[in-house]
Amino acid sequence: MSLVPQVLKSLKTLPPFPLVAQRSLVLLNKAEVSIQELVDIVKFDPAITANVLRISNSAFFGLRREIHSLHQALLLLGTQELLKIIIASGATRVFCRATPGYFTDRLGLWRHSVSCALMADLLARELTLAERATSFTAGLLHDIGKVVLSLYVDQKFTDIMAVVEGHGVSFQAAEREVLGIDHAQLGGEMARLWDFPDRLRLVINLHHLDKPEAFADDMVLLVYLADLLVLMFGQDLGADGLAYHGYPEVLRHFRLRERDLEKILLNFGSAWQEAQVIFGLMGSDDGLQCAHS
Amino acid sequence: MVGVADMKVSNQQEQVLVTHALGSCIGVAIYDPVARVGGILHFMLPESSLDPAKGQENPFMFADTGLPRLFRECYSLGAQKVRLLVKVAGGSQVLGNQEHFQIGRRNYAALRKIFLKNNVLINKEDVGGTRARTLFLEVATGSVWIKVMGRDTIAL
Repeated sequence: MSLVPQVLKSLKTLPPFPLVAQRSLVLLNKAEVSIQELVDIVKFDPAITANVLRISNSAFFGLRREIHSLHQALLLLGTQELLKIIIASGATRVFCRATPGYFTDRLGLWRHSVSCALMADLLARELTLAERATSFTAGLLHDIGKVVLSLYVDQKFTDIMAVVEGHGVSFQAAEREVLGIDHAQLGGEMARLWDFPDRLRLVINLHHLDKPEAFADDMVLLVYLADLLVLMFGQDLGADGLAYHGYPEVLRHFRLRERDLEKILLNFGSAWQEAQVIFGLMGSDDGLQCAHS
Repeated sequence: MVGVADMKVSNQQEQVLVTHALGSCIGVAIYDPVARVGGILHFMLPESSLDPAKGQENPFMFADTGLPRLFRECYSLGAQKVRLLVKVAGGSQVLGNQEHFQIGRRNYAALRKIFLKNNVLINKEDVGGTRARTLFLEVATGSVWIKVMGRDTIAL
């Protein structure tokens, strides 16, 4: 029996994607963003403004002087870095739900998402791709479908796992077989409802490379690879473990050898330690972060 | 708590050592039941030749620099090689062919090679596959168990 109608119905109660972050997504694609434009977007959201200042002043950026205003932060960090912080701050409100079925820890999906964002950013740098902030964002939001699908995965976890182990297919394929829809497809639907830019929606929908058109966009391949490497790194693994396909053609496409992957993991280890301030964006001290649906 | 590329040894009887969420990394737990000394190493990559400077800075990153340290630190707390029980977990792999994305497999191969050279036998192991494992070692008893993410606890 397909659960698709039920799953899609539950999208109706989806909270809105924070407006500030949504407007920032659009700016990612623009070559020139004026400082005033960004300040105007952010200044009406005190929680995000506070986060921007907190992260700007953290060791992660290692700036020598203290930043007191959005304007200063923009001048010192640049618009692309700022967009990353704004989007990550906004995204916490979507990721603050528990995701049983994937993670026992309430912050599990958030941590995996931040890890993947950091890895995508690092890969973009290694591969000298220009779009680092877009890579970060696509990495951060790639598993957004799990926020909603998790309840259904939790109900049918034993069945899904039986398909994974019995047929040797990926966790995503097993979701589709048991539930009628997988977290990538559902994420694509959410991206549509939230009016994400087309390319971002595409990355979310195709990030497991289960359709031929996935291979047409470097950004899809990059996020796919970032996800896989983060799973191998381990720290923020969920119940689905590493049950996803490794496609060697992606390595060929980016001209990466096995040894390069080891080096990337090595660098990621340090980046991951340094970025704990971003992981910490989610809700310890202030309950403000969580939107109530 | 043993982090990524990290090691802890202990003879504090009330302690339980744990290392979380092993992916392609490998966790090695060793224990001397007479001295009641044990330790866990969580290494990430097979060989320090990849980046010797990093290997020197943090030997627990690699199998070849981390494993000798794990054994030596346990010896310094009174453990003896002949009495050591050795248990291994992790080294998971993504799905697919045997040639690519093989860090988990290479980690395990490096470990086997080092153990073979030094006459160390593995008593129990749970390696490979796609599971995410967390590894525990209870210092008082030497009990070792793993928790597979989202599923059961397995004694090792």
